[in-house]
This record gives sequence, C-alpha cells and structure tokens, in this order.
Amino acid sequence: MHVKGHFFPIVSSNYQVCVATISDTHIEVINDEHVIARHAISSLKLSSGMAGLADELNFEDGSRFIPQDVSYRWPFKENNDHVMERLEKSKWAILAAVIFTPLFMWLVLYKAVPAIAVYSVDTLPRNVVEQMGEQSFTLIKKIALDPSELPAEQQTKVQAHFTSMLNALSLDQSVYRLSFYKSDSFGANAFALPHGRIVVTDDLANLLADKPNALKAVLLHEMGHVVHQHSVRITAQSAASTIVLAVVFGDLEGVAEVALGTGASFAQQGFSRDMEREADSFALTQLESLGYSSNDFADAIEALQESHTSENGHLEKVNDLLEYLSSHPSAQERIDNARK
Amino acid sequence: MESIHPTPSETTPPINEPAEPIFSGKVQFSGKGGEFFGIWIVNILLSVITLGIYSAWAKVRTHRYFYGHTRIDGHSFDYLATPIQILKGRILAVVVFFIYTFSISFMPILGLFIALGFIFLMPWIINQGLRFNLRMTRHRNVRFAFKGSYGEAFVNFILLPIASIFTLYLLMPYVIKRIDSYIHSNISYGDKPLTVNLKGETYYLTALICFVVSSITMVVFMGILGLFGLNLVDIENQQNLENSAAMVMLPIFMMIAYVLMIAIVSAVWHAAIRNHIFDNSHFEGVATFKSELKPIPFAVLLLTNMLAIVFSLGLAYPWTKVRTSKMLADVTNVTIYPGALNLIDTAQEQQSSFAEEAANVFDIDLSIT
Repeated sequence: MHVKGHFFPIVSSNYQVCVATISDTHIEVINDEHVIARHAISSLKLSSGMAGLADELNFEDGSRFIPQDVSYRWPFKENNDHVMERLEKSKWAILAAVIFTPLFMWLVLYKAVPAIAVYSVDTLPRNVVEQMGEQSFTLIKKIALDPSELPAEQQTKVQAHFTSMLNALSLDQSVYRLSFYKSDSFGANAFALPHGRIVVTDDLANLLADKPNALKAVLLHEMGHVVHQHSVRITAQSAASTIVLAVVFGDLEGVAEVALGTGASFAQQGFSRDMEREADSFALTQLESLGYSSNDFADAIEALQESHTSENGHLEKVNDLLEYLSSHPSAQERIDNARK
Repeated sequence: MESIHPTPSETTPPINEPAEPIFSGKVQFSGKGGEFFGIWIVNILLSVITLGIYSAWAKVRTHRYFYGHTRIDGHSFDYLATPIQILKGRILAVVVFFIYTFSISFMPILGLFIALGFIFLMPWIINQGLRFNLRMTRHRNVRFAFKGSYGEAFVNFILLPIASIFTLYLLMPYVIKRIDSYIHSNISYGDKPLTVNLKGETYYLTALICFVVSSITMVVFMGILGLFGLNLVDIENQQNLENSAAMVMLPIFMMIAYVLMIAIVSAVWHAAIRNHIFDNSHFEGVATFKSELKPIPFAVLLLTNMLAIVFSLGLAYPWTKVRTSKMLADVTNVTIYPGALNLIDTAQEQQSSFAEEAANVFDIDLSIT
C-alpha cells in the first residue's frame, strides 16, 4: 500500500515529498527509494479524522507524515478511532442533535436551574442571607434612596400596623423591619430585601394615606416575598444559570448569544412572575385571616396602577403588548384574582 | 529541496537584498458550511448532555477544523492543544468564576473588592491566554510563540485605557494602537520575531472616519423616521400621540438602526485596522503579508450574518463562521521567502491553559486576526 504525502522531520519546517508504505506491523516513509523513517504501527498515537482534512500521522519522535489525499484514512485505524468524524457526518446524529439540543437546553434552564436554586436557598445559612441583604441595601440606598420626608406621626402609625400584623402572624420582629425612604427613581413603590428589610417609599405612603388597609395589603405582599425567600431564590437562580451557561456553553459562541440569551431572560421573567403571584396569594390569604378583605389588595393595585399610568399614559397600549415580557403579572389579572 | 537554496559560494546576494520569494498568493480556506454544521451541532449536543465536560473536546474539534482548513502555500495550520489541557483550565476557571458570581450575588460589597483584585490579575491572564493560543498554533511543523511581560500588559490593557477615560476617550485610538503593537510585536514564529511598525495616525484617521460614518447613519435614520411623520427631537411635545402603532414600531426601528450602525462602523474599523496591521508586519526573511479587506463587502457580510443567525434561531451560525473565514482568507496575501524552510521550532516547555480558559469564561476576546 503506497500513500503519497509530505514528511516533516523533527522540529523543522523543511518538508520532503515522500511515499509511505504500510506492512502489517510497520510504516516506512520513502524518499527517492531511501527509507527515511520507519515506525511500528503500535507506537502511533491515533486520533479521529476531521471532515475534509488529511489524516496525518504523528510519530513518537515528533516527525509527521501528511497524506496528500485529504479523504484518505489509514486502514490500520479501527472504526472507533473515527467515531467523532462518523458522528459529525452522520445524518441521524445531526438530526438528533437539532431536535434534542433545544430540548436539553430547556430542561436545564427551566427545570434543573430552578431546582438547584430552591435547593441552595434551603441550605444557605441565615448570616449569609443577612449579609446579602445588608450589602444590597447599602448599595440601593446610595444609588436610589433619600431620607424620608414623611411626618413622624404618619410613620409611627404605619409602623404600628406593621408590628401588630407581625405579632398576629407570629413573624420575627428582628427579621421583618420596615423603613421609609423618599425615592424619585422608584416612585410609588415598595420592595423587600432578602433579609427581611421592607422599604416603603414616601410616594406610596402618601398615595395610600387614606386607605390604611390597602397599605397593609401591600406590606403583606412584601412580607410574602420574604417568607418565601424570593430575592434569595432569584439571586441563586440567576447565579446558577450564569454558571450553568458558562460551564455548558462556555465555548460555543453564537448559540449562547442568540438562543440562550433570550431563553435565559425569559426563564427569569417567568420565574419572577410566579413569585409575584405567590406573594399576592400570601397577602390575600393573610388579609382574610387577619379579618380584612381581599378587596383591600385590589384597591392597592388599582391605586398603584392609576398613579403609574397617569405618569406615562401614552405608553399604556405598548405596555399591554409587552406584558408578556414583564416581570409582574398584569395589574388587571391581579385585581381580578383579588376580587373573585 | 536543496536546489531551492542558492549556495552562498556560488551566488553571494548583496546584503539587504531580499531573496526571491518561493511563494506568493492568497490564503486558502477550504471549510464548508455543511461540514462544519455537523461538527458544531453534534458537539453542542454532546456538550450539553455531558454537562459541559465534552465542551473541551468540542473546542479542540472546532479549532482543528478551522486551522486545518486554512492553508498557505498548500500547508495547513495545526491546532495542537489537547482536550485535557482545555478541560483542566476550564475547571479552574469555573471554580474562580463560581466564587466571583456568588460573591457578587450574595455579598455585593465583597464582590466589588474581588472584582478590583481581578484588575491586577487581568494582565497575567491576557498574557497566558495569548501564550497558550500561539504555542498551540503550528504551521509547516513550526510553532508560534508569545513573550509579552506583565508590566507592559498592565500598562497597555489597564493603565492606558483608564487614563483615556480622563481624556474623554481622545486617547483611545492611541491606546488601541499600543495594544495591537504589544500583541503583535511579541509574536514569534519559531525563532523569528514578528516585526511590527504600526502608526498612530492610521488609528486616529480610522476613528474619525468611523465617527463620520456613524453620524451619517444617524442622520439618514432620522430622515427616514421623518418620512413616517415621527420627530425624535420633538418627541416630548407629542405626548398625546394617538398613533400607538408608531410608538410600538419606534423601539424596533431604533434597534434596526443600532444594529445597522454597529455593523457598518465595526466593518470600517476592522477592515482599516486589519489591513494596516497585516501590511506593516513581517517575519524577516520568512514572510510578508498584505490584507485588502474592503469595508462595504465586509459590512454586508456582517449584516447578513446577523440576519441569518436571528432568523434561523442560531442554526445558521456555522455557515456564517465559514463564510467569514472564507472572506478573510480571500483578502489576505502572503509572500514566503526561503528562510521559511530553515526555521527551527523552539517552543518546548508545557503551558497551562488556565489563563486562556479564564479569559474565555469571562468573555474577554482577544482575537489576533
């Protein structure tokens, strides 16, 4: 068996045009009828071929033989030496990959990652959550919060409602803490930090000043976030998906950007809508158990929706369209849910 | 082969007179979109079901395909890294990335300090990445090498870019020129260093052209919007706009304009700078280069690539990669001199791929072509 090709001696760029002949045990490289190299086939390191590329031989001493015919494959290589090349050329393997890759990506991002997040939240020590909350709180204060300008008596009144609700629900007062801040960037809003700090903006307190029960409903909604550890879960979820994406798709540029970038953020949004629903249902259940009506919650959402849409009325229709992409369920859905 | 070399006793060429080239022609790229599609999609599936472990093998397969299909004078490039090298580096990088992600998520302030520490680690990571990648590249049985120092890398990649912020980025073209010079002048092929002579003027002129081009694109875009009766400058006074369809279309238009501008500007920049670097670099007595990348065909290529990827949900990626490589190879001319036949491969010691992996996972792309 004669194979034409190029022979490169050890560490040299000076190649020779040669012919390789193979016997059962050895391979000889011949140039002008002189044998210039002879190696045992058993000493060769075999690797899988590559579509359209010559199947080159790397000898033990560092010299190489490259066949001229790119489609030539050495007869002493077994089928499983070429398993990768065969898979990459197989129509069935390619078809399977086109079908199963998106399926696995969906499983990983929508099933495995949330499961990991929930599991890791349960194992997270309390002081880590405390640290996480305090540090985020410090950053948010710096960026978006100013000292409250609410009158002291208004603050005390809401604090009193807050404390009595905590007692009624037997929640720990050293964990659940309420603060007021003025914030232009948040507007009328309330949010909960992972370690139990709940922030109500001046705008919200004023908006619901004559609807104390509606404000209580909002506070209960925020408590719901803390009870269900939503911030910790969403952080764990996004950290886990970042790591999973980096590990699994670290090197496969292109896919990561297109298919996954959108997929991951959609997964995230869906996750956070579910959390809002969970916090809503916590608020509705506790409102009933504390002797209030779930209508109070609907009132709060209505008031919030009004205050937000009056700011940017012309965007309302766009918002309806983009609702699917948003992090909260639609206001109408939440109101209907409370009133039913 | 001996006959190619004139023996010194017979013909003594005058000093500084370049020898007759033994080859002059285009770089050939023989990869095919269909072939690479199979490699790509099968490797992705294997990577996903092995939870990322196979991605080290996938990376080697992909690089081998592209290196092997790139030929100068009939000789292909070889990618020499082994999957295990890549895997080890990747595991280390993932551990570091894990620590980083968790500290930034759960302890943001501590995370910021860790991020600050990375700034000092970055020059080392960049150097190691370049060193590994070049050492793993072989042509005609001779490897490339990179010998940049930490100090120089720190100045070029950290200090100067920060300094340029204080000059309202007016220093930026100069900084990029410094970075390109640093990367290329530290490359050697066997024992031959790459001689690079880049000019700041070219970078400033290119930056100016990019600025003008992006301004023109913006103006044209505003003009088109004007035709549809939308006035961006006066948007504040159009609160009562009933036409909500136009309001929905606006972000989409903005996005199209943005993508268009990015493609055009990056094509203009990339073409001019690539040509400049290739035309002003050579391995003395071994090879000279010439690049004739044209901005408009390149912009069209980038745009059609983006469209193809978006509308095929990513499946067109292998095709775009192959046609980009084809275009770049097609505009690159290499002239090879007899010195190329007497090179000695000097690269011997082993190199860890950690830094390169760290660079990959943190998404710092320092491509050298």
